[in-house]
Amino acid sequence: MTIEVDVAVIGSGPAGLTAAIHAHKSGARKVLLLEREEELGGILKQCIHNGFGLEQFKQDYTGPEYAERLVKELEKTGVQCFLNTLVTDLSSDRVITALSPEHGALEIRARSIILAMGCRERTRPSIGIPGTRPAGIFTAGVAQRFVNIDGYLPGKRIVILGSGDIGLIMARRLTLEGARVIGVYEIMSYPGGLKRNIVQCLNDFEIPLHLSHTVAEIRGRERVEGVVISKVDSNLRPVEGSQRSIECDALLLSVGLIPENELSKKAGVELSGTTKGPVTTETMETSAPGIFTCGNVSTVFDLVDYVAQTGAVAGTCAARHALGQVSKSKKSVDIVAGENVRLLFPQRYGFQDDLVLFIRAAEPVEKPVTIEITPPGSKINRLYARPNEMLRVKIAKGKLAEIRQPIRVSIREK
Amino acid sequence: MAVEKRHFVCVVCPVGCEIDVVHDGSKIISMEGNRCEKSVEFVSQELIEPMRVLTTTVRIQGSKWPVIPVRTDKAVPKRLFPRIMKRLRRIKLQAPVDMLDVVVKDVLRTGAHIIATRTMQRE
Repeated sequence: MTIEVDVAVIGSGPAGLTAAIHAHKSGARKVLLLEREEELGGILKQCIHNGFGLEQFKQDYTGPEYAERLVKELEKTGVQCFLNTLVTDLSSDRVITALSPEHGALEIRARSIILAMGCRERTRPSIGIPGTRPAGIFTAGVAQRFVNIDGYLPGKRIVILGSGDIGLIMARRLTLEGARVIGVYEIMSYPGGLKRNIVQCLNDFEIPLHLSHTVAEIRGRERVEGVVISKVDSNLRPVEGSQRSIECDALLLSVGLIPENELSKKAGVELSGTTKGPVTTETMETSAPGIFTCGNVSTVFDLVDYVAQTGAVAGTCAARHALGQVSKSKKSVDIVAGENVRLLFPQRYGFQDDLVLFIRAAEPVEKPVTIEITPPGSKINRLYARPNEMLRVKIAKGKLAEIRQPIRVSIREK
Repeated sequence: MAVEKRHFVCVVCPVGCEIDVVHDGSKIISMEGNRCEKSVEFVSQELIEPMRVLTTTVRIQGSKWPVIPVRTDKAVPKRLFPRIMKRLRRIKLQAPVDMLDVVVKDVLRTGAHIIATRTMQRE
């Protein structure tokens, strides 16, 4: 079956849902949302803890509540949703190939496409832990799905490697469900997750956090029987003589997320080496005309509110493109990382809208900092800069109109 | 009660101020490190009785999934979490359930209700 639409959205997490709603609001008549799972909502469905939507909705929602609010809003729009639909191919001229039990093989031709596939967890092979290969090693998100959706406990004595937010959330969740979480081990000298999660998920439950520690070996044949923990030095190398064995029946990995861009690559979209997502302008348009990106497929955000905001921009701009309302000017300048900046999103400025810039610091600064953006020479003050908390700044379009050279972003102690 | 020192990380907002507090067991005598006034209320409450929202799941029958997410509709004393969890283990709901449906009224006489945080259809 061949279908023609104004805007096709791939993925129905917070980014895709928000993008579809905004594409419809901005006048796109035929909007199609494609979801590979059997329900809308993406990863929010398994994030049953609260703390979502404080910025966007001024409400303290749980993940499922946040998702359901967006789904209810979407239902009012008449946006068409195909569930259980797996996108297998995407071309640069905006043809989607997809498969679904209900609709069979699909060819979808879209005036605009929005990439909203989200991200994937890094796994044991991506960090290379030595030892045997028994059952009982899970990424934190997989364990979260087992507990919160399927109703299984993945273990009774659990070690967590990595202090990303999902790992911290799972330390609390597993403790509440009666498992013993022995500790959270983080290779870096500072935690990966938000400070409030350290307090509410670890300290509240007396779960120890060991910084500058890693799992040096996994033991067990059929099932995990234990791990060897080692201290690491400032070069992240194991410290001789610091190893000790811990008995456990499960190891959870919370060691980072990577944008899921297999489809973007098929469409020949240019990817950034730092964000691992498509290179985009402030309109969320990628290097392939008419293909837009939003949410965690673009770069891994810390807050669902930021994910939804990029979805709103992508939805609006994708609708404008589909309706032929965009100027043909392809002029753009690069946005480049200066002092103490690990990554930036977006990476280009295309002179269409205000620039909302997301910045991740390279090193933590627990003192007031100035974010310098030159040109136009804007200086923005913040109380601190932490690698695990993105900084967001907005620069008005008017200030940027005359720029001809790359925009450099630096974070300096005030 | 004797004067004591205690360290807090404020969780009211994402800034996470590190606060050193001198207190007499139930009241703040002095505090430093907080960037705003919201921390005063937070620390005062922490000294008397730490309160948190509990989120978890309960079992459900007749739906696609075997468990449904729930939460307390307001913060409850943190020390009651194990007892509330024990109480919720006895619950088995029947689908359909709507988001915000009350699952347990006035759980352990805290004044808080346990409410469903998603809709689950009958399958």
